[in-house]
Amino acid sequence: MPRALRARLLGVLVVAVGCAPKALPPVVTERYAVMAPAAAETLAELGVADRIVAVGDFVDYPVRLRSLPKIGAYDSPNAERLVELRVTHLFTTASEAGRGEHARLGGLGIRVVALDTSTFDGTLAAISRIAEEVGRPSEARQLLERMNARIEAVRRRAEDRPRRRVLVAVGHDPIFVAGPGSHLDALLRLAGGENVAHDAVAPYQLMSLEMILDRAPEVIIDSADNRPGTAHGFGDGSWGQWPFLPAVRERRVAHVDPWRLLVPGPRLADMAELMGRLIHPELFGPAAPEDLAGLPVAEEPAR
Amino acid sequence: MTATGPVGARNTGRGWRWSLALLVAALVGSIALGVSFGAAEVPFWQRLLGGGWSEVQQAILLALRLPRVLAAAGLGGLLAVAGVAFQALLRNPLADPYVLGVSGGASLGGVVALLAGLSGLGVPIAAFVGALASLVAIQRIATSGGRLTVFTLLLTGAIFNAFSAALIYFLQSVASREELSAIVFYLMGRIPSASVATLAAIWGVGCAITLALFASAREFNALVSGEEGAQQLGVDVERLKRRTFVLGSLATALAVATAGLIGFVGLVVPHVLRRWLGPDHRLLLPAAFLAGASFLVLADLAARTLAAPTELPVGVVTALLGGPFFLVLLRRSGAAIGAGEERDGGRRA
Repeated sequence: MPRALRARLLGVLVVAVGCAPKALPPVVTERYAVMAPAAAETLAELGVADRIVAVGDFVDYPVRLRSLPKIGAYDSPNAERLVELRVTHLFTTASEAGRGEHARLGGLGIRVVALDTSTFDGTLAAISRIAEEVGRPSEARQLLERMNARIEAVRRRAEDRPRRRVLVAVGHDPIFVAGPGSHLDALLRLAGGENVAHDAVAPYQLMSLEMILDRAPEVIIDSADNRPGTAHGFGDGSWGQWPFLPAVRERRVAHVDPWRLLVPGPRLADMAELMGRLIHPELFGPAAPEDLAGLPVAEEPAR
Repeated sequence: MTATGPVGARNTGRGWRWSLALLVAALVGSIALGVSFGAAEVPFWQRLLGGGWSEVQQAILLALRLPRVLAAAGLGGLLAVAGVAFQALLRNPLADPYVLGVSGGASLGGVVALLAGLSGLGVPIAAFVGALASLVAIQRIATSGGRLTVFTLLLTGAIFNAFSAALIYFLQSVASREELSAIVFYLMGRIPSASVATLAAIWGVGCAITLALFASAREFNALVSGEEGAQQLGVDVERLKRRTFVLGSLATALAVATAGLIGFVGLVVPHVLRRWLGPDHRLLLPAAFLAGASFLVLADLAARTLAAPTELPVGVVTALLGGPFFLVLLRRSGAAIGAGEERDGGRRA
């Protein structure tokens, strides 16, 4: 082939290659599934709620997440639905029972973020971890600073007060109480309380009613009933059958919707302030009935 | 000889009176222990003899401990008597109150009530209704040509239990964490601090059923030799089977409805008593009520105190106590039977 022709062909080839449409790198839009209610609230606080495409059966706050597809309960998310919805990240609660399933989902290319929110410190750490995963570390730092400031304010105000004996009930029949290791125990202690279940061996444990009566709690925070229509507020309820209890005598029995206290996440500071109002109302001001009620039903304003 | 042993004249007359007196004393002692000890320290005897109790101590003793101890006694008696009845009906020493399916229906009724958000008496009532529905269904299925066939009864009961268990597992799989916890603790068995009405029902029904079964004690003795043998002795076997099934099931239904599944009482207590007192049901039935009552009172005492301030489910305690004890009994029975077989083999040789 003549040299000039080779040169022309080479030039055409170079131009053709240069003009050829290049394959674009795949655009990965992060799509989240959330099993843990606390993780859902954290994602919303960090401003990435719009990335949530599916939720677990027990996630219902923020309210706008209720209409999203459901993917199952706690330790058993539906893998088919996760793949169908092209979920990239699954935020769930750490548990031994779910480990095998989490590994399987990892094999399907879904990043499983298992969070331990069973303790006070674990809750704060979970917020940081979620923020790292979603690329919002500075938002998380600001959130944690605000939370810690409010929690510290509660602790400082209550530290010189005489400690009141507090019972936090999270279940009836049998009575389950919050014990050492739970976020509720940490909150009630920093709010100036002394846990009557201080010698429980688990964060949430069945406690004998005999023992409860014997320890004469001065404040009872009953967060055991989240059935629709349950009245929450101040009142003796079933504790009224023990009128000699200081908490009943002094009218310090509060029925608090579990949503207010049992979802340890960004509302930890709200919980600390609520504990302060319930344990030392003379110091923090009394809690209003709406402070004890369940989660809002109406859509809240966009963040 | 059947698995329940030969019916002889062991322990008649004065021997029976002493045995029953001993069991009554054991029950009184168990109740006294049960009321004296618990998670909270209450100086029961000192105050009873010397002074009064504080308001808290009075509430603990009279509103919590005493009703619970009396409930445990009544329920233990019911379960043991039901065990004797079913072992006689089925002529099988492995029969217990839960083998014929009524407990499955009761458990399912209780679980449904828990998930429906019922509390107070709602759960036991629903459990009892579930038990009655199972009882009627099982009896109808197992009755053919006017005859209640033991083999069919056993199979039907096993199927009902399996079906109820499957439904319960399904309900557990869709329950929330809080509901799941309530279901698990209900099924593990727990003696309530029963109200006066509940105590009256437990003891009233318990005594009535024991007396009604006692009225058939001689017929149970005859049934040991088989249905044909009993018929030849003038026993209306079909009527006896139906009556025993219904009464035993009612006892089981009441126990499960009130306290969940408490195992081994109806299995171990009749066995121990049969080895001590012999197989005569005229003694075995009242003895079972008394011994079962004592056993469950003491088991509940252990459940209330061993892990205080928490409580163990009493069904766990009865299984932990009864299981190994039963294995030891079986081993000794097996050794005795083996020795007997060797002797018989030697004689034949």
